[in-house]
Amino acid sequence: MFTKTSRKPAALLAAAVSVMLLATACAESERDPEGDSSAPFVFGSAGDIKSLDPFLASDGETFRYSRQVYETLLEHESGGSEIVGGLAETWEQSEDGTEWTFHLREGVVFHDGDELTAEVVCANFDRWHNLSGAWQSSNNSYYWQAIFGGFAENEDEGLPESRYVSCEATDELTAVITISEYSSIFPGGFSLAAFGILSPTSLETIAEAEITGEEGSYTLPEYTREPGAIAGTGPFTAQAWNRDQAEVTLQRFDDYWGEPAGFETMILRAIPDETARRQALEAGDIHGYDLVAPADVEPLTEAGFQVPTRDVFNVLYLAFQQETSEELADIRVRQALAHAVDRQRIVDTILPAGGEVATQFHPNTLDGWSENVTTYDYDPEKAEELLAEAGQEDLTLDFCYPTEVTRPYMPAPRDIFDVISQDLESVGVTVEPKSFEWTEYVPNTDSGECSLYLLGWTGDYNDAYNFLGTWFSVKNDAWGMDEPELFDAMAEASSNPDTEERIAAYQGLNEQIMEILPGLPISSSPPSIVFAENVNPPNVSPLTQEDFSEGSWKE
Amino acid sequence: MLRFIVRRTLQLIPTLGGLSILLFIWLQRLPGGPEYALLPDDATDEQRAQLRRALGLDEPLTVQYVRFLRNILQGDLGTSLQTGQPVMEEFFTRFPATFELSVTAILIAVAVGIPLGYLAARRRGGILDFAAVGGSLLGICTPVFFLAFILKVVFAERLGLFPSAFRLSPGLSRTDLSGFVILDGLRTGELDVVWDALMHLVLPGLALASIPLAVIVRMTRASVLEVLDEDYVRTANAKGLYRRTVRGRHVLRNAMLPVVTAIGLLTGSLFAGAVLTESVFAFPGVGSFVYAATQTRDYPVLTGFILLIATMYVLINLLVDISYSLLDPRVRAQ
Repeated sequence: MFTKTSRKPAALLAAAVSVMLLATACAESERDPEGDSSAPFVFGSAGDIKSLDPFLASDGETFRYSRQVYETLLEHESGGSEIVGGLAETWEQSEDGTEWTFHLREGVVFHDGDELTAEVVCANFDRWHNLSGAWQSSNNSYYWQAIFGGFAENEDEGLPESRYVSCEATDELTAVITISEYSSIFPGGFSLAAFGILSPTSLETIAEAEITGEEGSYTLPEYTREPGAIAGTGPFTAQAWNRDQAEVTLQRFDDYWGEPAGFETMILRAIPDETARRQALEAGDIHGYDLVAPADVEPLTEAGFQVPTRDVFNVLYLAFQQETSEELADIRVRQALAHAVDRQRIVDTILPAGGEVATQFHPNTLDGWSENVTTYDYDPEKAEELLAEAGQEDLTLDFCYPTEVTRPYMPAPRDIFDVISQDLESVGVTVEPKSFEWTEYVPNTDSGECSLYLLGWTGDYNDAYNFLGTWFSVKNDAWGMDEPELFDAMAEASSNPDTEERIAAYQGLNEQIMEILPGLPISSSPPSIVFAENVNPPNVSPLTQEDFSEGSWKE
Repeated sequence: MLRFIVRRTLQLIPTLGGLSILLFIWLQRLPGGPEYALLPDDATDEQRAQLRRALGLDEPLTVQYVRFLRNILQGDLGTSLQTGQPVMEEFFTRFPATFELSVTAILIAVAVGIPLGYLAARRRGGILDFAAVGGSLLGICTPVFFLAFILKVVFAERLGLFPSAFRLSPGLSRTDLSGFVILDGLRTGELDVVWDALMHLVLPGLALASIPLAVIVRMTRASVLEVLDEDYVRTANAKGLYRRTVRGRHVLRNAMLPVVTAIGLLTGSLFAGAVLTESVFAFPGVGSFVYAATQTRDYPVLTGFILLIATMYVLINLLVDISYSLLDPRVRAQ
């Protein structure tokens, strides 16, 4: 019996060692793609995709996928925010901005072998325009509604009239899209991932597809889950979507009209937890991920990872709600608060490297940014003077901030809140802190519950209206600011089809807004993305629209 | 006996009814309401109002509750906002992963916990006992996610012995028959898949096993100690039975009764515990899905998960009560 037991540990140890050796060998072979150009490039995304049909989505992860597989008429330049040709090589707009002529690229084929023609483009737009039933819910056609308004036949009274009039194929490769009125969301609107062009065969396949269920509980049609059911023209094709693994596999499309993709296979794997993403990268299980926490940028760089910085395309601001607190309706009080906050300190101590103080409500990378806006330098004495002048030496204000969240424009909200509170307290303003979880925070700030609050925005497309219009086109409860003249000027600017005039108008608007001072723009900061050392990363995009076909393995 | 079971089962109705009311109130109290969950942050007030009307949120509370209850009774937990698919279907798609992980964890906990607890009791006061008691205390006190991080840093990142994330290596092709990768792999002979899946189970399995393991060690130890002092053990020893027979037939078997009950309850808690473990290891099971749901305000998924976990606890409790009554007639008389 003794001899038996004494053998057991030895046998166990041997087994354990061999298991570990095998495991190590296995792990090594999986993680070392060098020298094997066919190794899949695995990218960790923050969530699984929602649908293989981008039209039905409104989330960034689905759009990251669809930008690789489907293409739109226009795109943003690689690594920048300027609008350039996509499927349309060139385009023109009529003088009044209602007619858009797109000259398509020659020789573009879809993944299923169909050819791209002007008729195909029109068939796509007509399909979207003629959608009915559950497709018309803002749940299922959010971006169509945001850009083109309603449908051919609106089934809900609340839907606006459609801005889309028609699409005509004037020749094989020329499509003319007519809209009822110009808006500055064009041409940017034609570049949104939701409007990826599908092949004629795909359109036939899905012509009868239906969305079942009712509002808030829709089930998307079968084709949105079947890779290959709908074909695009992008550098990758959708090969598999393992929903139980939250894994999408993309395969290089060899007949792509442009430069073929550098990776043969690309895999998008959902890793919702930020720390888990970082550890998966460090362990070699993935080769890149997005939404890097600012605090991780430096350690990752030091560890040899590539952390390219995207151009800044966002703004963080401190809002002054003029209805919740009457004191804030006095411009002198708003100016005092603006002078009281040391924004440079926030940029230097809290934001990732590359952040800068914002002087107006959109980043300086966007046309319409003005050099001549009124600026509010850090000057606590002046702040005290202004408060005294307004008779508000004993001002008390509630100040809201979100917890348990980081946004690309707002890492560490609590720290930012602390700095601003200290600054305000030091000029004699009593701050009553109020914190909410993000889910509660947005509705509360939207409905004007908070006198002071922190919020921001990352742009969708390259037009100042995407920032300014979102906030200042009508009177809303979030700001409680009633400036009809500003709202009119905003509407006028956004409906001016002349690009130069429009940009000048936006510059004027920025100056006007900073005079009124509805809130204090604080900063613009660069969101980061990270790649492993052995990857040639794609150009990073300020709009987070990376084209992964530009990436490859290092030789 | 039958009467007891029927009576006890009927008691489930008010319990589950109360649960449904609590859940409904929770849904009502959701910050901002579902229109904030369903639409992007920059949706207009009109779009939100339109959605509220369409969802019937302007109807009386009683009408809304009856509709909520009817849907639950029909097994309709709504549609996930993340995926646009029925919540029930999403849970079933991801359940095999969570099941494999939970089974791994409970196997580790039982295989290590029972022998360790037994040995600790037999060598009471010795070094092994001291280590087992101390270790199990540490196991109970250490948050699962912390242990998971340590395991990952040491065994995945530093030593590179195990993968740090996922259920299978990315891009590994396999034949999907049932969603259970290990079973499928064994059936189709894809041993590389089985091996890959097992490797991916080691670290999350250990992390998830930590608390049940600690509980089992302590319970086994306490239970064995108690039984060792019983008269019948002394009698058996006095009769001169083989020590092996006494230990196996009398001590271990009797000591195991409360432990087995505890294992049942622990298995139930594993599913809830999987939320953290799975998210740390990006293990694509029900837990990760629910964690992602908390990030994206996917309320139908959260509601469904709470309902399922609560129902599971209630049912396991019922089974425990019934099994007790079978073992101990005094329970029935109460």
